Order: sequence, then structure tokens, then C-alpha cells
Amino acid sequence: MSGESLRLKATEVQTTIGVIKGLEVAIGAVIEEEEEWEPMGPTPFPKVTDLRSWDMTLLKRYKPFYAPFCDLCCLCTYGKCDLTAGKRGACGLDIGTQQGRIVLLACLIGLAAHAGHARHLWHYLVEKFGRNVPVDLGGDIAVEAPHTRLICGFRPKTIGDFDVALKYVEEQLVQLLSATHTGQEGNYLDFESKALHVGMLDHLAMEIADIIQIVALNFPKGDPDAPLVEIGFGTVDRNKPVILCIGHNVAPAVEIVDYLREHNLYDKVEVCGVCCTAHDMTRYYSGAKIIGPLSRQLRYIRTGIPDVIIVDEQCIRADIVREAQRIHAPVVATNEKKCEGLPDRTHDPIDEIVDDLVNFRVPGVFIEDPRKAAELVVKTAIKIAPLRKQYKTLPSKEELIELAKKCTNCKSCRRACPNDYPVNEAVQAAKNGDLSKLAELAEVCVGCGRCESACPRGIPIFTLMTKAAEAEIEKERYKIRAGRGPIKDTEIRNVGAPIVLGEIPGVVAYIGCPNYPGSYREVAEMAEEFLRRRYIVVASGCEAMDIARYLTEEGKGLYEVYPGDFDAGCLVNVGSCVANAHISGAAIKIASIFARRNLRGNYEEIADYILNRVGAVGVAWGAMSQKAASIATGFNRLGIPAIVGPHGSKYRRAYLGRPDREEDWYVYDARTGEKVYAGPAPEHLIYPAESKEEAMVMTAKLCIRPNDTTKGRAIKLAHYIDLHKKFFGGLPEDLHLFVRTEADIPITMKDEVLEFLKEKGWKPMKIPDPTLLPRLIRRKAK
Amino acid sequence: MSAKPWQISNIPGPKTASILKSGEAVAKILKKAKRPILIVGARIVTEKVDGEPLVKYVVELAKLGIPVVATAHSRKILLEHGVKPVATMPLINITNMLKDPEWKGFDGNGGYTHAIFFGITYYLQSQMLSALKHFAPKLITISLDKEYQPNATWSFPNLSEKDWKEALEKMISSLKGG
Repeated sequence: MSGESLRLKATEVQTTIGVIKGLEVAIGAVIEEEEEWEPMGPTPFPKVTDLRSWDMTLLKRYKPFYAPFCDLCCLCTYGKCDLTAGKRGACGLDIGTQQGRIVLLACLIGLAAHAGHARHLWHYLVEKFGRNVPVDLGGDIAVEAPHTRLICGFRPKTIGDFDVALKYVEEQLVQLLSATHTGQEGNYLDFESKALHVGMLDHLAMEIADIIQIVALNFPKGDPDAPLVEIGFGTVDRNKPVILCIGHNVAPAVEIVDYLREHNLYDKVEVCGVCCTAHDMTRYYSGAKIIGPLSRQLRYIRTGIPDVIIVDEQCIRADIVREAQRIHAPVVATNEKKCEGLPDRTHDPIDEIVDDLVNFRVPGVFIEDPRKAAELVVKTAIKIAPLRKQYKTLPSKEELIELAKKCTNCKSCRRACPNDYPVNEAVQAAKNGDLSKLAELAEVCVGCGRCESACPRGIPIFTLMTKAAEAEIEKERYKIRAGRGPIKDTEIRNVGAPIVLGEIPGVVAYIGCPNYPGSYREVAEMAEEFLRRRYIVVASGCEAMDIARYLTEEGKGLYEVYPGDFDAGCLVNVGSCVANAHISGAAIKIASIFARRNLRGNYEEIADYILNRVGAVGVAWGAMSQKAASIATGFNRLGIPAIVGPHGSKYRRAYLGRPDREEDWYVYDARTGEKVYAGPAPEHLIYPAESKEEAMVMTAKLCIRPNDTTKGRAIKLAHYIDLHKKFFGGLPEDLHLFVRTEADIPITMKDEVLEFLKEKGWKPMKIPDPTLLPRLIRRKAK
Repeated sequence: MSAKPWQISNIPGPKTASILKSGEAVAKILKKAKRPILIVGARIVTEKVDGEPLVKYVVELAKLGIPVVATAHSRKILLEHGVKPVATMPLINITNMLKDPEWKGFDGNGGYTHAIFFGITYYLQSQMLSALKHFAPKLITISLDKEYQPNATWSFPNLSEKDWKEALEKMISSLKGG
């Protein structure tokens, strides 16, 4: 199967007008014959079940662990059905299978968001630049689209070529969503296999979304020296009209920048952003400013600083219009996925709309044309900014204290807080004029606003927090390296061997949302620990932003201290959420460029390679969204484990290994076919950690791979043991499972480790050429 | 007696935890427990109950012979207080083992009858208790934290610091009193 509905091929056809040679007709898409760049693997454009056997191999070792968030099913009119502890619903489903179904649905929502984003961008860019924009990522990147090559089996030459891949994703999405309907799939493992398929497709969709914007909009193309750009509330000049862009789809923001440039207005208007649109704005224009991650959205609006808010898609608050009205700022919605109930004014004269917005006749408008939306927000911002000065959005200190006096200390705010922060105590302290506790909360708060919503006295707690932290907020000025996009082939050539052999101890990727269990600083603290240990540290999305909001003891940001190369001890910001595909793409490239494995339609072999050889781990410390579920599941199918923060337990499912079950950890030695115990490496595919200390110890452990050389294993174990001693005390209890020969033992720890091994009755083990795929055995064991 | 979950929206379904009315009630259950195990988490590292560090109660329970599993980064403080945990692992690992009917325990003598949870992040604990409620229905789970955990078999209701301390002290004194 390829991406088309029908393909006819003929070497020679006789017609009334003559003989036609090498005819190929594809209905649904017109494709050109590709030169044979690699032999086609077994699974180009895999359908839902084509990689099922790989999934079952993974799921046999990493069994789904379910922690239901709800004991009921409410999806059909038989329900509600109580599925508690073995009961089945009216349709026959049990609680485990229902969890598999919900996980699949979550992943599908995530995939739909990325695929919808990719498709929208594709239409926008094709309309703006045409289909023939070359997929040219510069001379150092020949493997331009590793997921597309791996999954679809073709090399995209132009952005138009991606249409086939997107159609494939869209078709699979329909089939997979249909499997969640009542009366369809009824086996939890098959739900999980489908979720893994969705995760794989998600990385493909993300890759397409990011590559087309990189090449069409001339974003950095894997540049380790991408510019350092500004991030933080304090970076915005409040004396100018302020346009706030929120979301993930950069199209309207690009048009705003272009409009400002074309009209020589750039110095007269501030353009800033929250969430991934902000990342991508700075990739387009380094003068744009990032306010911060999703967790800063509500806070920034409550400051009253934005004069106009323009939203595109994803991660935008559902109450954005209501919140904008509180500060007298109009909202311009620009994407069909988020119309916000606003009137469609796409075809009205701009000046008429500006007049309506400036005079507050409507709270906002929906403009589907990004260019028109850009002109509208600039004109509106310039006109409305002076008018908005009459409105005060934050209370005075005295007003704050009066509001706090309404508090009865009922603790509803605390019980609504996802992190159980003592919100009530902070409000109580404010009654007596002490605002410090509110300010401290503002520093660690995830910004959901649930405390305020829960308050029976109607105290605007979130506004109080914002006011209390006002002085600190205004000082926020940090630097972040603009998202560089893909990893260069030249970098892979440099680090491929040390990663696979274990001499670079691992690649750690901090990705995902900011729903942290504690302070945002924890992400940066973890990143710094591994940077100092000379791991390759990669970041994306909101976590890349939060890493920037942390200063070292010398008062410098991590992006200022550590270079942006994909190399040991470096910190790479790949960019927005969709740039996550470059992280998994780097692992694929290692298999391709370093190990010379064929990528083309060869998913299973490459995933097996990565699982057994590439010491990479993702840490989604604040994972919140369905997109994060889908991204993590895509990493998992490719053999890359993920750690989520404790809130990640609410995804309901983990993939857990059992180190105590020796039989689960055998691999084939590809040289002989012999089954060899390889230790629990990696131990889990996805699991929630309770504390950052636990996450750091597990990060080091999850970088261990069966293929490590003795030198590499010794390096990895040195970090694992050192972190264990630092945070847990003493040697790890499972250390003997990872020592294969005495040469694996870190030289400086030899005596104590040998003594430990003796106590455990340890015996040396073989070091295999590891694979889980019998077809990759080169010579069968006798 | 009923209780509302500490995090108000944490309403799982029809089956919710019975309430531990006092420290003596916990002691009564634990005295009858054939193979209990105590699982402690990150909160024992820093949290206090009305001035007393949480770890103090872990030490007392360990002295009474209840094996302790250290999760998160709780191992270090346990070692500092003279408690050698029977295992150190992520909370989800021990939960996963507890729901395995074939698992023979850390000593190889069989599965555990009672799993006691103490000092663990509220919502993470709730999720793990949910897993055990559904997939280890014979296991009795007990939450000793001050917030009502609806997915446990037994839980304290939402308690003030003072009442929590009193309950824990009475639990220990009742257990010691034979």
C-alpha cells in the first residue's frame, strides 16, 4: 500500500497514439518514480495491524499497568456502567479494556491535534508559496525526514510531497477512532497496539508540521547557534501596544511580523507569545518575545498588559474570551478548531471590524484569513492601547487586603488545587497585609485558576496572586535559544558511536507541558544535573521555556552556559511541540547514519535497534495534554522510554517491566541466535515518578541498553550509582542486574561494587548483539 | 460514616473506602493482619504532623516488625533513622507487584494481605490505590495519610494536623500495647 487510493504501473503500454514506456498512474495523488535510494522494507505505510507483532513483543515485556481514574463507563446509553473490580459493562467491556480504550482515545485526540495542525499549515504554506518549496534543510542534513522515510518509505522533495503522508495519517486516524466505538475492539492489548500505532503516526504528523514550516518560513535548519531570544514577562515594553499570540499554529503570527515589517511598525508594537506559537515566532523573527509556557497564560492576561489577544489552536484556555473581557482586550480567533462563539467577520472591511473592537461593541471576532487577521490585530492594538489605559486590571494592595478579608478559611481553594498548595493560608496571611505567601504561590503555581473557581466567596484568588507577585514578575527577563529544529547528520556522525557504545551516557529529552508536581524549577534542576554529567540534553515546548527561567549560581541561564549542539554536555532546544519529531528522528538517524540500517518502510527493525542500543529517555515532568500522551506513546513504540511526573499517573496507563521476572529480559544474540539474559534495560517504557530525585535516578538507569560496551556500561553505571548515592543513599539494590562482566564496574567504585556482587551471588553474563526479532539473527544457534 | 475525597473532584465510583475512625481502629486491623507491608513515599522526607516528622511513625511501625518499602526518594531518610527498607523502588513498581497473584513477596513466603500507604503524594497514591482496588480485590489497602483516599479499602477521613497526630500516636500505642 502507498498513500494513494489506486496505483497502476506498466513497463510498456501500446495505445492508438503510440507506445508508452514506464507508465505510472496514481489515483488520489500523482507521484513521480523515485530512484532506488534504498530497498523498500516490509512495512511502508503500515496499516493498523502491520506492526502488531512488534507491539505485542513490547507489550509482553512491558505489560500495560492500569490505574483507572474513574470506575464507570459513561459513553453509551446503557450506562453508566459500574466496572469496579471485575464487573463488566452492558457491552461486555471490563475495566482494564476500558482503560486501553480511553488511552487510545487520548492518543487519538493528540494525533488529531497535530495532524490537524500539520494539515492547516500545509494548506497555508502551499497557498502562500506553492507546492514546490524544496525540502532543503541545508548541506548538513541529507536524511531530511526520518519518520517519513521510515514509516511511508519515500523521500519528500517538496512540501507538496507531504500531502500523501498526511492523507495516510488522516485515513489511519479514521480507522483507529472507529475502533473505540461501542461494539468494536474488546481486547486491551489490541487497544494498546492501536495506541502505539497512533503514537507512531503522531511523530510523522509532527515531523511534517515542523519541516514544512522550517523550509517554507526559513526557520533555523538545525543550527546549534540559533539566536538567543528573550523570554519572560519583563521583556515586553508596556509603553507600546502589546499583541499577545497564544497557541501552536504560527501562521497568524508570521503574518503579523510581515505586516509590521512591511509597514515599518516593528519598533512601535510589541509582539509576544505564550506556548508553542511563541517558540515558532522566534524561529521566524528573533525579535519576537516569549512570555512563557502554558502555565503563564492566565497570569499574563490577568496582568492586563496585552492590548489584543490573537489565538490560533491548541493549549488556549477555553475561557479566553471571558478572561480577555475582564481586561478589556479584544480576542481575534483565527482557526476553525477554535472559533470561540465569535462572529465570523472574515469578509467584512477591516476598518469596520477595528471600529467595533476598539469601541468594545463585540468581545472579539473570528477571522479565518491569517493575513487579514494580522492587519486587524495590528491596527486594533495601535488604536485600543491608549484607550485601555483608563482601565485598571490589578487591584491595589489595599483592595487586595479587603478582598482577602472575605476569606472564611474553608479550604475549598486548597482542595481544588492540583498540587494541594496551601492557598487558603496565603489568602489568610494576606488579610493581615502579608502578601509574601501569595507571591510564593505565584512562583510555583501551574496557573490553572481552579482555586478561584472553587472559592464560595468569589474571591479572585488568582488575581490576588498575580498582584502579590507583580514586582517579581516585572523583573522576569531570561534568554532561550530559538528552536533549532532537526539534528544534523554531521552531528549524528560524531555522536552516533559514543551513544550506541554507551560512552556518551545518554540523551535526555525534557518535553511536554508544565503541569508540574512542584516548582517549574525542578525541570531545569534536572536538566542541569545531566548537563553537568555530560549527557546530551534536549528540550522542547513548554519545558524548554521553563528551563530558560532558571539561573545558575553565576546568574546565567542554562542556554547561555551550555552550547546548542547535539553533543555531550550541550543543551538543544529543538523548538515547539511538533519539533519533538526531531528528537525521535535523531534516534532514527543514529540507526540510519551511524549503523547504516535501511530506514525505508523498515519500522520494526529500527525500533528494535533503538530499544536495544540507543540510550535515550524522555522526561515529560509536567505532562498534561492528550498530545503529550500521544507523543510519549510514539516514543515508546520506537523503543524510547519516558518518565512522567506524578500527575502523569492520571493518564491511567503505564508500560511496566518486571525486573524480578528474569524470563522477561532475554534477547536474541543476533550473531548466534542464542537467547541471552540482558538485564532489565530499559526497565520501563513509561512510568510516573513521584519526585524529581526519583526521576533523576531512573533517568540514568533508563539510559542503560543491552548493547553497551563495557566501557560505556561502566560510564552509565557510574552515573546511576552516583545519583543513587546522592538521592537514595548507598548502592542500588538492582545493581547486579546491570553488571555483565567485571569490566562493567566503574573503576573508582570497584571494591564496594565487587563486595555487593559477592553478597548477591553474582555471576558474569554474556554481552549479546541484542535483538528481539528472530528474523535479524544472522546464524541460528545449534 | 461517609467522607468526601480531599481533592473534591476525586470521585471514583460506587465503591469507596471505609473510614478509619481512630488510631485504635487501625491498630485493630493491623493486629489481625497476617502479612502487612508498609509503603512510604516522598512526603516522609519533609513533612511534619503537628511538629513531629512523619518519618517518626515509620520508624515505630518498622520496630513493630512491619516491612517497609521505600518509594520516591524516601530511602535516604529511612536509613538515617535506622530503618532498612526491604526494597527501594518506584511506587508503581510495588503496586504492580502487589496486584500480581503469583508474586511471593520480598521474602518469598507469599503475597501480602495488607498494604499500608503513608506519606505519598495524594493523587499518585489515589491512582495506585485505584489499581489495587480493581486488580487486587483481595488485598486490603490502608491509607494513613490525613486526606481521605476513596480508592483505599480503609482510609482516615480528612483530618486536621492535631487529629492526625493523635490518630497516629494512638495507633502506635495500641499496637505496642499488644
